[in-house]
Amino acid sequence: MHIFGFYITGYQVAFIAVAGITVLSAIGVVLLPNILRAALCLGLMLFGVAGIYALMNAPFLAAVQVMIYVGAITTMIILAIFLSHRVMKIGFSQAIYNPLLAAAAAGVMFLFLFVTVANSVWVRQISAGGPAKSGAGIDAVATALLQPYVFPFELASVVLLAVLIGAVVIAKEDIEDA
Amino acid sequence: MPISWILTVGAMLFCIGLFGMMVRRSAIGMLLSIELMLNAANLNLVAFGSYLKLPVIAGQVFAVFVITLAAAEAAVGLAIVINIYRNEQHIDADKISAMKM
Repeated sequence: MHIFGFYITGYQVAFIAVAGITVLSAIGVVLLPNILRAALCLGLMLFGVAGIYALMNAPFLAAVQVMIYVGAITTMIILAIFLSHRVMKIGFSQAIYNPLLAAAAAGVMFLFLFVTVANSVWVRQISAGGPAKSGAGIDAVATALLQPYVFPFELASVVLLAVLIGAVVIAKEDIEDA
Repeated sequence: MPISWILTVGAMLFCIGLFGMMVRRSAIGMLLSIELMLNAANLNLVAFGSYLKLPVIAGQVFAVFVITLAAAEAAVGLAIVINIYRNEQHIDADKISAMKM
């Protein structure tokens, strides 16, 4: 369809909608003074990223994003907020410090990245073909994980075991103190 | 759709996360900003993996590892935050001085 003289496909409309939701909720994550609302905005933003994965023909990663990020990490953060903010004493509100200076620094960083992306020759060369037409499904990811990347895969399981033990040891109440 | 659109969204998310890292003083707020930046990196990895059409889908596999480590980081980070709250009754990163010399 034609909008403002440009030819725009439905795919691009979907991408702009999902990317808009993602970026707006990301702004909510950093600017909302209520930390609980910021965590809920993070959940929405992670959903948006899952939508972008789905648009890029990565269905497995979209499912992983929803299950691990939206399902587990957001829940864990909200539980930690409930455990660490006594509702009456501290409250959920957080002050925002030095917003102008921080916005200037982040804006300069974005300008640098944007100019790099917009002017690079290799970016234009890659874009020519568009995203992969055949979605890389679960079988392709599983083959890659268990054949060329089997060592980092096993290493990740060791790291997860260490984290499991470490998190329990750190969060456990000291018996002498209690 | 050119890849530069996805890279621009990734750059936006990263810079918003950077901004949040600088303005938040609560430890949990900083963890939220770290998640934003990790997602920006993942977005770029998956975009390159999808556009470069390598024989192995390296971008998606790397993104899976990043998600695994992000979950690990969140678990340990939140355990530390809860422990600090139990000892000091606040999680203000500016006032935590337990590890200063």
